[in-house]
Amino acid sequence: MSTTVNLSQMQKDHGDFIERVRKLSGQDVRKCYQCGKCSAGCAVHNCQGMDVSPNRVMRMVQLGMEEEVLKSKTIWVCVLCSTCTTRCPRDIDIARVMDALRILSKKNNTFVNAKNANTFHETFMNSIIKYGRVYEAGLAVTLTLKYGYGFNLIGIGPAALAKGTLPFFPPKLKNPEQIKKIVENVEKIERMEGEK
Amino acid sequence: MKYAYYPGCSLHGPAKGYDLSVKAVCKNLDIELWEVPDWTCCGASSAHSFGHLLGLAIPAQTLVPAEQEGLDIVAPCAACWQRLVWVNHEVTTNAKTRDEINQAIGAELTGSSKVLSIMEAVASAGMEKIAQATKKPLKGLKIAAYYGCYYVKPPKVAHVDDPESPKLIDDIMAAVGAEPVDWPYKTECCGASLGFVEFDTTLAMSAKVLDYAIKSGADMIVTACPLCQQNLDMQQSTINKKFGTNHKIPVTYFTQLMAYAFGMSDKEAAMHKNFTSYQSALAKLG
Repeated sequence: MSTTVNLSQMQKDHGDFIERVRKLSGQDVRKCYQCGKCSAGCAVHNCQGMDVSPNRVMRMVQLGMEEEVLKSKTIWVCVLCSTCTTRCPRDIDIARVMDALRILSKKNNTFVNAKNANTFHETFMNSIIKYGRVYEAGLAVTLTLKYGYGFNLIGIGPAALAKGTLPFFPPKLKNPEQIKKIVENVEKIERMEGEK
Repeated sequence: MKYAYYPGCSLHGPAKGYDLSVKAVCKNLDIELWEVPDWTCCGASSAHSFGHLLGLAIPAQTLVPAEQEGLDIVAPCAACWQRLVWVNHEVTTNAKTRDEINQAIGAELTGSSKVLSIMEAVASAGMEKIAQATKKPLKGLKIAAYYGCYYVKPPKVAHVDDPESPKLIDDIMAAVGAEPVDWPYKTECCGASLGFVEFDTTLAMSAKVLDYAIKSGADMIVTACPLCQQNLDMQQSTINKKFGTNHKIPVTYFTQLMAYAFGMSDKEAAMHKNFTSYQSALAKLG
């Protein structure tokens, strides 16, 4: 399958994409010269976990292929292990670029190819906002119900319960609303920042 | 020696054996741990993907009591540790972000508390003291020390040790009499929390780590990260089923093995809470 990409039009429509990525990640993707070291060492890519290799993501950011990048599965399955960052001869923190692309993808609501990732992160955040800590058993059950597996709960859950390593009840904090408060404060700060 | 202690969610859940053995090892080495009161989750692996500031502000809160007490802080979970290290990195290098973090948590962080990994905290007692505390030397036990990624990458921020060839856990294992093996997957990622999202990819990633540890002649893998431990230990039987392998390599926290060498029984070191069977490896010790 081949697709035609109109690069002039891309630049016209998304020419500032690379600049927005830079602002959010502090990384200048322009520096990438496509050596491919990031992809060669990527543990996820090497297990066929990605739809676009990391070096291609960098090139797509350079070309202004905003929609395609933000729709990719790659940015959501990246585990932020930072092997790419460690080995990048151009000193780009590629993992931070991936994280910035996630933030943009979330804002644009474009996780077409990574629905599970979105469900996981939302469920996780809800858990810590509610309890102040992760409620693992609750998280695993919710995810299993939502998309069929939550860290292999069905496979190993019973044994984990028997070993007492999967606490049945949610964590109890003196002040469980600490994270909720921080989330609200961050929203306020970012709103003010956006109005500037 | 006294440190603030931030166990993190995993150590109160699936990684209870880690919590217990960290405490036992520190006690044996006269390291006092002061648990941060009413601590909250560090936000990994999600908060930072919702926003840069959010990803920093949530873990930042944990550092406040440590700074107030004037203590360096120990976080035995690799993800917690790295989140805290990022906070300190930003607080000490980026004034604007520091002010925003402080505004979000209603405190005045300055970055004065050093964030230590558990290997660094344990090693701070000195290898000699570790060797002296050893009552049952793990003679002849071949260990693959598995660091995973978060402790050593990206090295500008997270640098417990060399990003490609770290040695700190190997040295600690040698101090308790074991024989660390040289192997290539020390800092390769196990798949971490991707197990919640793309389970099959995570299994494939962990399978490679197990494979190389076994090929390198290890009797046992030791880790310092709850996610590494769970992926390699808890999911080992699933990996075997999926890839038709017959791996039977025990995976423990390095502190569990230290506690054992310091004289605790395997059960006291909570090794029976792990999923893989460790008895045959320990039987080698006679």
